[in-house]
Formats: sequence, structure tokens, C-alpha cells
Amino acid sequence: MRFKYGMLAPLVAVFIAVVGFPLLYALYLSFTDYKLTDRGAPDLVGFENYLSTFTNPAFWEAFGVTAVYVVVAVGLELVIGLAVALSLQKQKWARDVTRSMLLAPMFITPIAVGLTFRFLLNDQIGAIPELLRGIGINYDFFGPGRALFTLAFIDVWQWTPFMVLLLLAGLESIPKQPLEAARVDGGSPWYIFRRIVLPLLAPVLVVAILLRALDALKVFEYVYATTRGGPGTETQTIQYFTYQTGIQFFRLGEASSMAFVVLAVVLTVIVIAFRRLERNKSA
Amino acid sequence: MSLRKKSGRFAAGVALAGAIALTATACAGSGGPAEVTSSGLGDIPKDTSGTVRILMENVPDTDIVKDLVSEFNTVYPDITVDIESLTFDQMRDKLVSSFQSPDPAYDLIVADNPWMVDFAQAGFLEPLDERIDSTTDYDADDFFTPLTDITTVDDVRYGVPFYNYALGYLYNTADYEAAGLQVPTTLDELVSDVTTLKTADRAGIAMQPQRGYKIFEEWANWLFAAGGSIYDDEGNITLDTPEAKAALEAYIDAYQNAAPANSLNWAFDEAFRSVSSGEAASMISYNWNLPALNDPAGASGDLAGQFKLAPMPGGKQVLGAWSWAIPSNSGAPDAAWAFASWITSKAVDVERVSAGGAAIRESTLEDPAVLDDGFGADYYEAVKQILSDAAPLSQGAGGEEMIQAVGTELNEAVAGTKSVDDALRDAQSAAEKTQG
Repeated sequence: MRFKYGMLAPLVAVFIAVVGFPLLYALYLSFTDYKLTDRGAPDLVGFENYLSTFTNPAFWEAFGVTAVYVVVAVGLELVIGLAVALSLQKQKWARDVTRSMLLAPMFITPIAVGLTFRFLLNDQIGAIPELLRGIGINYDFFGPGRALFTLAFIDVWQWTPFMVLLLLAGLESIPKQPLEAARVDGGSPWYIFRRIVLPLLAPVLVVAILLRALDALKVFEYVYATTRGGPGTETQTIQYFTYQTGIQFFRLGEASSMAFVVLAVVLTVIVIAFRRLERNKSA
Repeated sequence: MSLRKKSGRFAAGVALAGAIALTATACAGSGGPAEVTSSGLGDIPKDTSGTVRILMENVPDTDIVKDLVSEFNTVYPDITVDIESLTFDQMRDKLVSSFQSPDPAYDLIVADNPWMVDFAQAGFLEPLDERIDSTTDYDADDFFTPLTDITTVDDVRYGVPFYNYALGYLYNTADYEAAGLQVPTTLDELVSDVTTLKTADRAGIAMQPQRGYKIFEEWANWLFAAGGSIYDDEGNITLDTPEAKAALEAYIDAYQNAAPANSLNWAFDEAFRSVSSGEAASMISYNWNLPALNDPAGASGDLAGQFKLAPMPGGKQVLGAWSWAIPSNSGAPDAAWAFASWITSKAVDVERVSAGGAAIRESTLEDPAVLDDGFGADYYEAVKQILSDAAPLSQGAGGEEMIQAVGTELNEAVAGTKSVDDALRDAQSAAEKTQG
């Protein structure tokens, strides 16, 4: 027993230093009135910051914006990713080439992707609006009612390969026997997909959706590089809002409380998702 | 597990949590100046030694300063000037970290206009009154007054001007002549001109309605042109006024009828490209963009030389300024002042402005060496007029938040998601909230 704990000690030490301390420090800050321009130790203000966060309509608006972004982006990534993964599974030649090409967007830093799309989608100098105009379509990518979907589209462009990667691994790990048995019994491809492939892929799907959703929830760079939260507050995501409060406006205590509220919501979602997964497994 | 073991672990846990909490308490705001070794004096001996680490914005004026460092070293051979340049968005966070650290990263900084009050009131900056007053032949009264107003917080000077970014009206003279128009002198004329200048393949004006800083900086010029103001004489916000309404309606009119299509999210980069490529006839932007637009080796190509600068209709415009300031935790405050006072001295300022730097001193704009250079006497005359009647975007603490809050409301009005009346009412309310 002692040896076991001894072996764990380095990991625990690193975890406390790298994760535990910043987390506890941020928690402490969330109960203070700390501003970046303060000198000396801040005053404790109890739950004041949390109260202010919970009663701030702008915070919840930003939360809503982020939720829409995550649902649209991850939803599209799931559908497109699954379609691509199914196609790639059947690919017979040059698999390594297509797969490595497909993964390329993931290796570009998000801020560079954001800046690239800012100019690609620019109505005057951008290639995409120019191409669209060629077929008679005039579309303002960053206009009201559209900007958030444009950002979600950028996310889809960059992160669908990640979804493909996970789903492809899941598809290739599915045992062949049930599929062959269904084929022998005359099951249609759609039937086999719906009744055999999807249920067997479910654990991977949940993990893939969860991972992508958690990542998409952190969206900051695309907003920063393109819209800065506009038009109005249409693309003001929770991360951008927290950044503005804590860094731009110096109110680090308040921003910490916002981060913890987000953390609490996210942890709740994760716990519920994993519990359901476990329940389904045991059923 | 025995009760003693359990309670021992509990105690250890409490002790660890306590230690972390104490460390955390010690961390927040624990920064501050190391022991200041500033002499506070103006004339720094020529044999002073040290390294001055400076953080600057990645702009043409910084390149000019870098080119002058070797000349500074002929006067102060033992002072090493180490300049780091970053894009605007990266600067402030690094500065605040350095201010808070007992071991600072920078000994001399350039501070943007909206940061000045926050930094000064936080105690991040060294007061410079004594240094300025005791520097021989420095002539601080020669700086344009609106620029020194920005460096003065609670009647104390915390900086000296580095360069201005007052805005003006930049226009293509060929487009204006072809349309038979004169430079606008009123807001109505401005809207009328840019609408007339719009053709099928050219916008009348490239605007910058991006949410936040950009739209507020641009629109405030329209506000001044309409006879309005951001603050009244007592420093109260005055954004929900008939003048502001007229200015916002005129701005929206111009955006809808004269600006490039789908440019709601445009900032400086896009507007500059549009004008320099001839796809827009005019823009409201920083006065020092004129040399860049007229640079034959620059982005304008064959259009270089066609552009002119004029004060805004009504004669009053938005002023921004960067100022040299010495962090109160600077490791080399005397050497820092040696450099700051040298680079802003009358003689060196003439060199800097002749090389394309933005003006800070009135005498520089009357110096023959400057007037005879390639950028043109009429350009400097326009700059002089602009700097003589300009007002900053923000005056008090929390300037950045006020600008962002108002800029969001203005952008909503231009996007059509809020009425002009509602946007101005909310802008007024949001700006008042930032004032406390």
C-alpha cells in the first residue's frame, strides 16, 4: 500500500502544483475585490462577485451565445465527421495520404485560423465572397444574425478532422461479426448503420462530443481575431466576456467568479454525461 | 483506518489548504516597486550607465525611435537601450505584469491614452514634474497642450508625449476633383460628399464600425462635427444628446449609402487597404497615415501622392497619444529619463518628425527642416490645426471599459439591432456606470 502511494506521490505533487494551486488561487480571488491595478492584498468580499455574476444579464447572454455556438459547431462536426469517417473506413488506397491531409487544419494555431478567415471572408478582398458573387450570392459573413454561425463554421473547418480521427478509431474498433451477421440476414446498409454501428459507436460518440464541446466552449481566438464580440454582443462568448472583465477592465476577482460559475456548469454536464454512459453500459 | 490517522490526515489537509490560501493571499497584489533608486532629477550625467528596457508598440514611430538609438549612444555611451516591440493587443497585459513585479521587465514604457489615468492612480508610474522642470532647455510648454493634458493626472505629470494619433479626414484628391467637390467643412457636407463619391466600383468612405474601440474612435469625430462632446466641463458623460443623435444618424446614413458593402466589422487594416487600393475615396484615420498613403513604395502604388489630410468638418477631432513614462519599479529610472528626455528634446524631435514620426511639439512643425521635407508643408499645417483642437476619447479611470461599452452600443445601432435612441441611452448609462 505504502509503495503504491509512494509511486503516486510525484503525480500528486505535480497535480497540486500545476492544477491545484492555480485553481485554489483563482477560487480565492473570486472571493476578493482584486483588481489588476491594486497594490497590496485585496479585501475579501464573500459571495459578492458570485452574486454580481449570477445577476448580470450580460454574463448569461454570453453564456447563451456560447451554448448556441457549441451546439451548432459540434453538431455539424459530428454529422460531417461521421460521414467522412465512414467514407475513410472504406477507402482502399492512399489512406495515409488522405488522413494526414485531412488532419492538417488541426495543427494550425486557432488565432492564425481566425485571422486567415477574417480576410478570406472580408467582403472586399476576401476570396470566398468573391467566389459567391460569381454565382450571384451576396452574403455578409460577419453581419447581424450571421456572425456567430460564421465563427461556428470556422470551428467546423478546423476541428472536424479531430472528430473524424476519434470516430474513425471507434469505427475500426467495432467487431466485424455483428456486421457480417446482419449482412447475411439481409439488413440494409442504413439498417446496419442505425441498429448496429451507431449503438456500438455510442461510447466513442459521447466522448468525442464531450471533448469537442469542452474545447468549443473555450472559444476565444476566433472572436478576438474577427468580430471582437460584435455585431453588438452577438458573438460575445463567455470566454471573451471573462477576458474583457478580468484583463481589459482589470476586475480579476469578478472574472474569477465567472470562471468558476462556468466550471461548475461544465463539471455538472460532464458528470451527468458520464453517469448516463455508465448507466447505459451496465444496462 | 484509525481515528487518529484520519484526524492526522484531516489536519494535514487543513494545513495544506491553509498554506495555499496564505500563499494566495500573499500573491495577490504582492507586487509593487522594488526600492526606487531614482534621483528624480532632470539633467542626467553623461557618464550614467545602465540598461533601459523599453516596451513599445509595433508601429512606424517605434522603428524611427530604434534608428535614433545609436545617436543617443553618442551622448550617453554607457546606457544600453533595449527595445522590445509588440502589437497593441499584447502590450497592456505585459506592462501590468511588469508593474506588479518586484523584478520588473521594463524600465521605460510608452502608455496609451486610455491607460494613463488607471496606471497613474494605481501608483505604477513615477511622477515626472521635478524631472521635467529641472531638465535644462527641455521647454515642456512647447508640447501641444491636448497631449500634455493626457499625461497629467490629478495635476501631476506622469509622462511626456511620444507621438500623437489624432484623427483627421484623409481623402483622394483625384476622386474629389473628378467629382467637382471641395473638402467638407460641415457634417452634412461630409455625408453628402461621401455619398456623391460612391460609384459602382468605389466606396465614398471606408468606415471602421467594428464593435468597441474602433467605432467609438471614429464616431466621436462625427459627434464633435455635430457640435457634441463626450464629456461636459465637469467631466460628466454627454452621449445621450440631440447632437449625438444627429451624429449617429449621419454616421449610419454614410455607412449605408457610402461605405463598402458588408463592412460592419471593419477595423483599421481593412479601411486602409480599401483607400490605398483606390476602392474607397476617403477615410477618417490617424493623421500620420498620410505619409504611408503617399509613399510610392507603399500600398498605394500608382495612387501615391494623390492623398491629402484635412481637419474634420467643424475643426475638432479625436485625439489619442502615446506617452513616455517611467514605471515606479523601474530598475534604471535615471537612464530611462535620460533617453525619454533626449528623444523628446526639441532637436531630436525635429529629426524624428522629419523621418515620418508623428508630431508632439509645436516648434517642430514650424522648423524649416521639417516643412521642407517630402511630406509637405500643407500636411504639417493640417496636423497643427488638428492638434490645436482635439479631445481625447476618455478622461477618467476605467477609460478602456467606457470605450468598449459605448462602442458596443454604437455598433448595435449601425447593425440595426438597436434604435439610435436606445443605443445612445444605453451608451450613456453604460459609460456612467464605468465612472462609478
